[in-house]
Amino acid sequence: MTAILQVADLKTSFRTDDGIVKAVDGVSFSVAKGQTLGIVGESGSGKSVTSLTIMGLNDKRAATSSGSVLLDGHEILGVSTSELQEIRGTRMAMIFQDPMTSLNPVKSIGWQLSEAVLVHKDVTKKAARDRAIELLEQVGIPNPERRVDDYAPQFSGGMRQRVMIAMALINNPDVLIADEPTTALDVTTQAQILRLMKRLQDEYNMAIIMITHDLGVIAEVADDVAVMYGGKVVEQATVAELFDSPQHPYTWGLLGSLPRLDSKADRLEQIPGQPPSLLRPPSGCAFHPRCEFAFNRCPTEVPPLVKFGGPTHLHRCLLGDDTRQEAWAKKKAAMKVEAAA
Amino acid sequence: MRKKFVLPAVLAAIGALLLVASAYASTGSSSGVAGKVAKKGGTLKVNVSNGDFTFSDPGLAYDTLSWSMLYTTQMLLVNFPEKPGQAGGQLYPEAATAFPVVSKDGKTYAFTIRPGLKFSDGSPVTAAAFQRAIERNLSPKMGSPVGVNVQVQKLIIGGEDFLAGKTQKISGVSAKGLKLTIKLTKPNPTFVSIMGMQWFGAVKPDTPYSTAGLNTTPSAGPYTIKSRDAGRNLVEVRNPYYKGTRPANPDQIVWTVNTDSDQSLLQVKAGQADIDASQPPAAQYAALGDQFGLNKKQFFVGPTSCILYYALNTSRAPFNSLAVRKAANWALDRPALLRLSGKYSGSRSDQVLVPGVPGYKRYDIYAIKGADVAKAKKVAGKPLSGTVTVFHSTSASQTARAQVIEYNLKQIGFDTKDRPVPGGLYYKTLGTKGADFDVAYAGWCADFFDPFDYINVNLDGRSIQDANNVNFAYLNSAKLNAAMDKAASLSGAARATAYQKLDLTIMRDYAPWVSYNNLNSVYFVAPRVSNFIYSAYFTSPDYNALAVG
Amino acid sequence: MFYFLVRRTLWAVALFIAATVITYLIFYIIPADPAKLACGRACTQQDVDRVRHFLHLDQPVWRQYLRFLWRLVYHQDLGRSFVNQQSVNQIVAGGAPVTASLVFGGAVFWLLLSIPAGIYSALKPRSIADRASMTFVLFGISAHPVWIGLILGYLVGFRLGWTPIAGYCDFFSPSFGSSCGGPVQWAYHMVLPWLTFMVLFAALYVRLIRANVMETLSEDYVRTARAKGASEPRVMVQHVMRNSMLPVVTILGMDIGLALGGAIFTESIFSLPGLGRRVIQAYNNNDLPVIVGIVVFSTIAIILFNLIVDLLYAFLDPRIRLS
Repeated sequence: MTAILQVADLKTSFRTDDGIVKAVDGVSFSVAKGQTLGIVGESGSGKSVTSLTIMGLNDKRAATSSGSVLLDGHEILGVSTSELQEIRGTRMAMIFQDPMTSLNPVKSIGWQLSEAVLVHKDVTKKAARDRAIELLEQVGIPNPERRVDDYAPQFSGGMRQRVMIAMALINNPDVLIADEPTTALDVTTQAQILRLMKRLQDEYNMAIIMITHDLGVIAEVADDVAVMYGGKVVEQATVAELFDSPQHPYTWGLLGSLPRLDSKADRLEQIPGQPPSLLRPPSGCAFHPRCEFAFNRCPTEVPPLVKFGGPTHLHRCLLGDDTRQEAWAKKKAAMKVEAAA
Repeated sequence: MRKKFVLPAVLAAIGALLLVASAYASTGSSSGVAGKVAKKGGTLKVNVSNGDFTFSDPGLAYDTLSWSMLYTTQMLLVNFPEKPGQAGGQLYPEAATAFPVVSKDGKTYAFTIRPGLKFSDGSPVTAAAFQRAIERNLSPKMGSPVGVNVQVQKLIIGGEDFLAGKTQKISGVSAKGLKLTIKLTKPNPTFVSIMGMQWFGAVKPDTPYSTAGLNTTPSAGPYTIKSRDAGRNLVEVRNPYYKGTRPANPDQIVWTVNTDSDQSLLQVKAGQADIDASQPPAAQYAALGDQFGLNKKQFFVGPTSCILYYALNTSRAPFNSLAVRKAANWALDRPALLRLSGKYSGSRSDQVLVPGVPGYKRYDIYAIKGADVAKAKKVAGKPLSGTVTVFHSTSASQTARAQVIEYNLKQIGFDTKDRPVPGGLYYKTLGTKGADFDVAYAGWCADFFDPFDYINVNLDGRSIQDANNVNFAYLNSAKLNAAMDKAASLSGAARATAYQKLDLTIMRDYAPWVSYNNLNSVYFVAPRVSNFIYSAYFTSPDYNALAVG
Repeated sequence: MFYFLVRRTLWAVALFIAATVITYLIFYIIPADPAKLACGRACTQQDVDRVRHFLHLDQPVWRQYLRFLWRLVYHQDLGRSFVNQQSVNQIVAGGAPVTASLVFGGAVFWLLLSIPAGIYSALKPRSIADRASMTFVLFGISAHPVWIGLILGYLVGFRLGWTPIAGYCDFFSPSFGSSCGGPVQWAYHMVLPWLTFMVLFAALYVRLIRANVMETLSEDYVRTARAKGASEPRVMVQHVMRNSMLPVVTILGMDIGLALGGAIFTESIFSLPGLGRRVIQAYNNNDLPVIVGIVVFSTIAIILFNLIVDLLYAFLDPRIRLS
């Protein structure tokens, strides 16, 4: 299976009044058609900037990017705006976190869907509208012929996200980037939207990059997963590998904050401390100030990305393999105790 | 800027009098360049900054602006000629064949109208035209809200009944063909002058009454009003039936009202307008005078009937003392007060009368060239002390002048208390008997050039009432009142001589005012304008004489 | 929509009564006597009383006010001027087109300048052009219309001679003797007044539009539009403009009232025979019927204009329409 999107050593920094912010610092991954890559991390980990950089949607005056983004083997990082505009919406599409604000409130849904067609294809307005109705139907909007002329404020949050998905898929893209598509929605709607995306992925055979802070979402939809922290990928694996044998203490923390059906705890475990400042990141391993297993090397050495086990499992932890397994065993036990309590 | 004020009382007079007006002379000083024969044609464009004609109906109009416009359209029994200087102030029979024949008892005036005169619609001018003018002036159906007609009814027999709506005609006025006869309640030496006011110009005998005034009505003068759009403009065209000798140089006169005086000056400089009837901004006088020269081609200055003065409150200490009032007259710095108004704004004065008024003679009684503190202290006779209250309006120029006189008064030993009063309330406050002031700014502009209108009106103590006074010095001297009565009863040269003496007596022996400024009128015209003839009576050029062709 | 109109109409009536009552009250609090002013300085008390009766000023204020209301409602008559007995209806009818020419023409001018300038500033913040336009904003906000008018009149009208210095021409059927008339002369004479309004108001609008456009540019739906591949011009026109102009429409509605105030100065400077000039004149003469007439007309005009703006807003913004 060949990767449709390959990202290598992607770096993005922003100039601000206070200094340079390294939002993305050497991220590499790839995703194949029909596959889903999950990118997981707290806010400020650089996951959203990664997706916006791929789409070329960063503010050009403030952001600089380097590295490589290959779409179907063609470099798309740093190409002209007009080339990017041709790619956006046709080969790569994106849906955003907040469906309440991501739709233009003064244009009808049909108009906005049709626009996505009309900016790329030389078809009649009628054809674009028919396609819009077709997509609305596919994403499960009832009475699409009638609702196509409604405005965003007349839809619920879940319905709006369906509309966003319809808009993203209307030109049959190769890659769909979904930036926290379910965060703003209630749990039931979340599940519906994820199932919808899964179904449509099968129909359209597209690659999905699912950006989330929620490992539960990853477990549900992703094939591969990259855990980001402080602008870097700290662990990268298949979903099975990650959940079976997570290698980075940060991933452990994320797993600890995951609600489980077998847990009786009222309160989920939080990772103590604050996400790192990207303006003045901690020295060495960016996670060391919050890491309960940190030792003397952590504040001084920047850990490289190293393999563990198979070729698909990578991590950035300075702990020796054995020490790490012990630590994970201890951590897992503690989590179970807490879960049982 | 100035309103003319109502002739306040009927003159008491004795004896049969003829040609009162001919004894009067006006001394307008500016002449302009009458020179060559003025070219005819073109449109004279007149701006009126910050003002409008209240009425263009001669039955209601009563302000200098409206009158100087109506002068170009009206035909009067007796009128002022378009002549510069003194000659322009002497009435001549216009529609009348001659000055009226007055009966022995001085109460019946008989005018004969010239034959062949026509209105702008071609209809003839007869005695009925002038009868109608008087009726329109007094009719309750005109209901003049400005109260302008309120005194004429007392002059003419039947006037009061007519004003009260009791009669349809004024019994004292009769018109038969070209004969107009007017019967007066009392002999009146100024009656001919009164007939020279714009209220009494010929109107067609069927001209209707109108409370709002008619914007246009046929007239018999050199021009006629073609249209008026109140608040915007007024257009005059030549009267095609006018055959008289008065000049009618422009084809049209277009008045644009409510202009801005700064922009208007630019328009005149650029030739987009010919003249601003409201005069240029005072701050520009000096620069205009320097650039264009005085009374040469474009910049003209002429005297007005207005006298500015400080009234000294004779009803209380310290100015109930003549010596102190004289001291004030020596102490106040007249040139400094004038300088605050800018160059050309007026002439220094220390008298009640102004040049042009019959009987005026320059006396130079006090310190006309500057304050004389030593002399002031000497005439006071004793050291001066205490606090004097200085009244002035809140305007910038009045406030500045008050500072000058307060400085002057301190120089002779007084303390001063500054009492600014808002402009709209100023004369009301000052005119209320018992007002708390010692020195107050005031000014007076005459209705017509008769010394009565200065001296008797402003200084007769018997007219002092509880409110609405104009005798701001609150001077009441039985001896002086009697002298004023005597002078008012005279006519001709005797009248002039009597008032001439009275002017001196008042300022020397009573000193109720510190007069300081005989105001000027200042005009600036576009380069193409010629034949500027200044009328001291209207304090404006004769617009019908201005040539733009 | 029906209730909206009913509510607005009731508001309008309340506003109208408040505006006229306040005008009446202020007029009577000012201790100046219009009868005395109309009569002249040398009037006797008897004459003043006569004039006062003629002008109905001898009645209590509330009766005068009711008289005014009755006449207005039953005869659509605003009365007559104290000073020259002119019909106030005619005064208002004569002045309104001039003021409308000034205000609406001025609005077109200031929008024509401020929309492009505001958008450009928003797209290129901190650029030279942005700084220049922000300097202009500061200048425009600080300057007084009289000063702007005098400077424009002097520089453009007098020194350069490109436009008339002052004056007005009718758009339709000029009155006799007016030196000019017709649309071209009308516009030619209005250029400087419009420019004055432009300097005065464009300043505020450049700021407003700049802020709105910048805010709208950061909206999620703009990012959505870019993500679907829309070109920058398309994003600007279809997504940014309409949304960022919505507040401008509201402010425009409110500023028409403000502009009527600005018209007082601008009309005075350029000798435009509009309502602002008339109201100043009436104020100087204590001419209550004219002041009240113009206040009444302006109030109605502002209320109506705001109603139109509200309806326009509802048309432009489905959120309002659908709620």
